[in-house]
Amino acid sequence: MEKNKKRKLFFIYLFLVVFLIFALLPYVWLILTSFKTRVDAFAIPPKVLFKATLNNYQEAFLDKGFLLNLKNSIIIMLATVGIGLGLGLPSAYAFSRFKTGKDKLLLNYLLGTRFTPVVVLALPLYLLMSKVRLLDSFVGIVIAHVAFNLPFVIWMMKGFFDAIPKEIDEAARVDGYSWFKVFLRIDVPLAKSGLAATAVFCAINSWNEFLMALILTGRHTATMPVGVPGLLTPQGTIWGQIAAVGTVITIPVLLFAILVQKHMIAGMTMGAVK
Amino acid sequence: MFKKNRKLQNYSHLAVVFHLPAFLTLTAITLGPLLYTLKISFFDYKISSAGSEDVFVGLQNYIQMFQDMEFINSMLKTFLFMFCAVVLEVILGIALAMALNSIVRFQKIFTSLTLIPMMVAPLIIGLMFSFFLNPQFGLYVWLVDTLHLPLPTVLTDTPMLAMIVVILMDVWEWSPYMGLVFLAGLQSISGEYYEAAKVDGASGSQIFRYVTLPLMKSVLVVGILLRAMETFKEFDKPFILTGGGPGNATEVIDIFTYRQAFVSFNFSYAAAVCVVLFLILQICGMLYQRFAMEGEE
Repeated sequence: MEKNKKRKLFFIYLFLVVFLIFALLPYVWLILTSFKTRVDAFAIPPKVLFKATLNNYQEAFLDKGFLLNLKNSIIIMLATVGIGLGLGLPSAYAFSRFKTGKDKLLLNYLLGTRFTPVVVLALPLYLLMSKVRLLDSFVGIVIAHVAFNLPFVIWMMKGFFDAIPKEIDEAARVDGYSWFKVFLRIDVPLAKSGLAATAVFCAINSWNEFLMALILTGRHTATMPVGVPGLLTPQGTIWGQIAAVGTVITIPVLLFAILVQKHMIAGMTMGAVK
Repeated sequence: MFKKNRKLQNYSHLAVVFHLPAFLTLTAITLGPLLYTLKISFFDYKISSAGSEDVFVGLQNYIQMFQDMEFINSMLKTFLFMFCAVVLEVILGIALAMALNSIVRFQKIFTSLTLIPMMVAPLIIGLMFSFFLNPQFGLYVWLVDTLHLPLPTVLTDTPMLAMIVVILMDVWEWSPYMGLVFLAGLQSISGEYYEAAKVDGASGSQIFRYVTLPLMKSVLVVGILLRAMETFKEFDKPFILTGGGPGNATEVIDIFTYRQAFVSFNFSYAAAVCVVLFLILQICGMLYQRFAMEGEE
């Protein structure tokens, strides 16, 4: 019996290890390629040990101008997070504290936005923005990213505000705090770990987003993902540089995601699974 | 009593003030544009003819859609993609969840590492697969050659193989997610159920069939519906790997719509497709909500 159990456990670990190898191998390969010279990248059999070079990074970011894309990505991400939280926090707080008969309707409205495919919103935004000359502007792309992130912010933060005991508010109210003060000075600081998770979540959404950025940004505002297909040229694809850009896009995401992983699943199912 | 009433009134006032910024913005930047889409879907707006924006054509775009073989093809491709991807993701997800649930040591590390695929930008996943499958230096080709595996080396040139690769990319990205959602479901099942089943002499597979699965039902449905809906947003990965090709073998609905709108510039026709997509997704969304809320109670 004991031996049987051990064998079972061995197979479970084996399954997990194989699963993880499959899950991580393509990614590890991408990172390795980004440090390879052109010759090493094409070597057969593939080289696991090689002399690392930063040439790909230098060429992509300095010579090809990906530094600008990096800057644009950061600007758009920060603006999306800032505006998303600024607009979403009060609403999330109201869902948690000031319940009205219309709450269900409003929440359904939020979910409706959440379920709209990107391309469905991209078409009218493109047409309307071309009319008011907002294409290739930060305002345009930030509007599009806020549209998708605002429902997320409200939904996630509602959960975090719900977790703060209402007695704390009441105590502050008795002390003469206005509701605005209770919200800003007491409940927002108390929800700060949730706030961090929500911010990271929005930041990743905006940072990774491709389709909207492809359609709404242009030469001056293109984000990093938008610049990537430009490296797949008919004259030959510069794999090393693509790998370098890919690595830069993903590393910060992974670091932040692991920091807030506890809240990740709740966020991705809109709270249906805790 | 009086005091309570006053308090409620205060609340509704406050609620309006707190909700207003978010909901005004959301209406202006989503509902407004969506209504605009609905409007132009009844017109003949395309870039190739000037003034076409004002030519009312009624339901013609919708009628054209259901006679358009390319549209029907991409819908069928989307459903095929959805079905295969979600089935594989559910199976792998359940296996992963049960494996993670039955270990104690390293559980945290395994769980953290499992998060990685779904955090990588979908565009980059498409790129990683192009790397992996590249006929000149791809690891895949080398593996097939050195191990003499009976597998084809060039995958993205054949319609069926290209579709399989597109499906596997999605499975790679989302199986871990399914696993973690199901793991959360498993961990919420009280141990008493298992003990009771064991006392009654149930075998391992019987426990899975009659205890675990029924109790996991709502989590399973939530995961499946969520993924099924997300397949209608599939764009980045096939766009970068196959571009919808070869031919239109992997042209899922978002790529089709993108091409109609931003390559052929048939705005009105694309808008009609968008309206149909929007309606399908809202119906799925309602189903999702019912199950998600059920899980909540």
